[in-house]
Amino acid sequence: MMDAGRHPNIRLLSYSEVVEVHGYVGNFQVRVKQKPRYVDIERCTGCGACVEACVWKDRVYSEYEAGLGLRGAAYIPFAQAVPMKAVIDPNSCLFLTRGKCSQKCVQACEARAIHFDQKEEFIDLKVGAVVLATGYELTDHPSLARYGYGLYDNVIDGIQFERLSSAAGPTGGRIVTRDGRVPETVVFLHCIGSRDEDAHEYCSRICCMYGAKQAHLALEKTGGRVYQFYIDMRTAGKGYEEFYKRMQHEGVRYIRGKVAEVVPDAENGKLLVRGEDTLLGRYVEIPADLVVLLTAIKPAEGSRELGKLFGVAVDKDGFFAEAHPKLRPVDTTTDGVFLAGCCQSPKDIPDTVAQASGAAAKAIVLLSKREIEIDPTVAEVDRDKCSGCGECILACPYHAIERVEGKAQVNIALCKGCGTCVGACLAKAIIGHHFTDEELIAQIEGIFEREPEYSFP
Amino acid sequence: MNRMGEYRKPRIGVYICQCGSNIAATVDTEAVAEFASRLDGVVLTRVNKYTCSDPGQATIRKDIQEQKLDRVVIAACTPRMHEPTFRRTLESAGLNPYYLEMTNIREQVSWVHPAGEAATHKAMDLVAAAVERVHLHRALYPRKSPIEPAALVVGAGIAGIQAALDIADAGYQVYLVEREPTIGGKMAQLDKTFPTLDCAT
Repeated sequence: MMDAGRHPNIRLLSYSEVVEVHGYVGNFQVRVKQKPRYVDIERCTGCGACVEACVWKDRVYSEYEAGLGLRGAAYIPFAQAVPMKAVIDPNSCLFLTRGKCSQKCVQACEARAIHFDQKEEFIDLKVGAVVLATGYELTDHPSLARYGYGLYDNVIDGIQFERLSSAAGPTGGRIVTRDGRVPETVVFLHCIGSRDEDAHEYCSRICCMYGAKQAHLALEKTGGRVYQFYIDMRTAGKGYEEFYKRMQHEGVRYIRGKVAEVVPDAENGKLLVRGEDTLLGRYVEIPADLVVLLTAIKPAEGSRELGKLFGVAVDKDGFFAEAHPKLRPVDTTTDGVFLAGCCQSPKDIPDTVAQASGAAAKAIVLLSKREIEIDPTVAEVDRDKCSGCGECILACPYHAIERVEGKAQVNIALCKGCGTCVGACLAKAIIGHHFTDEELIAQIEGIFEREPEYSFP
Repeated sequence: MNRMGEYRKPRIGVYICQCGSNIAATVDTEAVAEFASRLDGVVLTRVNKYTCSDPGQATIRKDIQEQKLDRVVIAACTPRMHEPTFRRTLESAGLNPYYLEMTNIREQVSWVHPAGEAATHKAMDLVAAAVERVHLHRALYPRKSPIEPAALVVGAGIAGIQAALDIADAGYQVYLVEREPTIGGKMAQLDKTFPTLDCAT
């Protein structure tokens, strides 16, 4: 993180989103919207005086602490944030929401970095290659309610467990229930929202292993009983199966079966985890102090819209579609746009890093060429015949045609020569080079010209 | 038409590939070649064991130069496989690479039909079609477009950071765009990571 923030060749545009993309491989023009932080990052020293001064200090749920910790309206996301600059949350800041606040943050800031009149800015970039690495979020599918998610304080998800366990987290690394007790029993539920036709059909791939790791931390830090309800353990990865075996030896109790429900026990304030042990064929009910849902990865919100900007399709689950599932797992159908990490499919950290380096290598190969050669087997519009009806623009799957001065024009760098527009054109104004009507008709005539020497049975 | 505007009959070379026994076991390649030699514009036909091999390509180059071929038809495997190979062959012999027509007598004939006359006749039909078409081929020229030596990385979690660092280390400008106020993504929220239990941040 630090390296990326310091690298002389990297310009970091945080709190920013891509809003417009034009151009093609080697020549993308990208417009980036930088959202107002209400803090001048050139002046801000990251001292935290505004964070201390904010009247909303510790009154807003912290995204970084996954809702388990609090922050103010003026805040620094976490101790190692890059850039180490404050930000003012427009949804909770009193001044920005109601127009009324004593603005203690402004008074506290010696660097005079806080500017409530800051507006969003647009930055135009020219790039030759693009890597999409938009990541994932954990599913919050409504069917999770059957496990008490969102209903009971002591049902948490995997990221919340990470924050509990982190020494820098809201509890200083103590794994405790919401009311501060050290849990006697922690129950982990696998495949929550994954391998589930009601939510996501796919295997989320990382949960078996992060569940095993969290079981280790729970055992070590609570000394209590740790259960894991699983469907199948999937530990494909270097050292993974060995780690799972180690957890079994450390005393994690693995129960093969899917939990039916999690309900509160009115008598002792615990949660009752009810399910079936399918290996023993019997009903089990475990009183738990803390229930951890190993929730599935799903594509980050907004990835479908971002994909549209770059002409990258998403698959049925919403992950970005690679150009070929085996041979081109890093490319997309848009030349010059590559994929890295969980935006393409659920994957663990080593695979993510490997794919990211793969995407970088692909981008470097492209950039190192200086020039690209554009295949001439593309469509061309005869402007004299074109009526400007726009049928071809609608038909083109690659967004390669635009209207210029009332007539269609093909962007040859985007055109793949598929011929869809040639067929769609009512005025026969488009020719597909190397696949002209004359060539294709000649080819057909070549077959039928001579007397058949045989007949099909 | 040649450059002077007068029609000049093309000089077409037809190469029938046996692909070892992949094609030859099913299609009578000699018969296809004999058939092709009688087609309009064809001045030369050859049967090769492996047309894509170095000697196979060398023969085509030699024929283009010595026999003044100006069109080439290759009946072999799918153009997805070797069209780029043979286009380079034509180019290296001084002929525009788009004067090539490939017809697929492997995936579309020998691999999908039983050996016999019908398969051979189908191969003949495909060759006849390719010859008709290659008459109309024109020289095409690829266009060049400069590349902007910079990259955009969208998302600054572990994937985006890694990609950005690698590209930046290669000496290119990288724009790393992150929608949150800080980079780090989900990884920055993790405590320890499996299976080695080392720290995430």
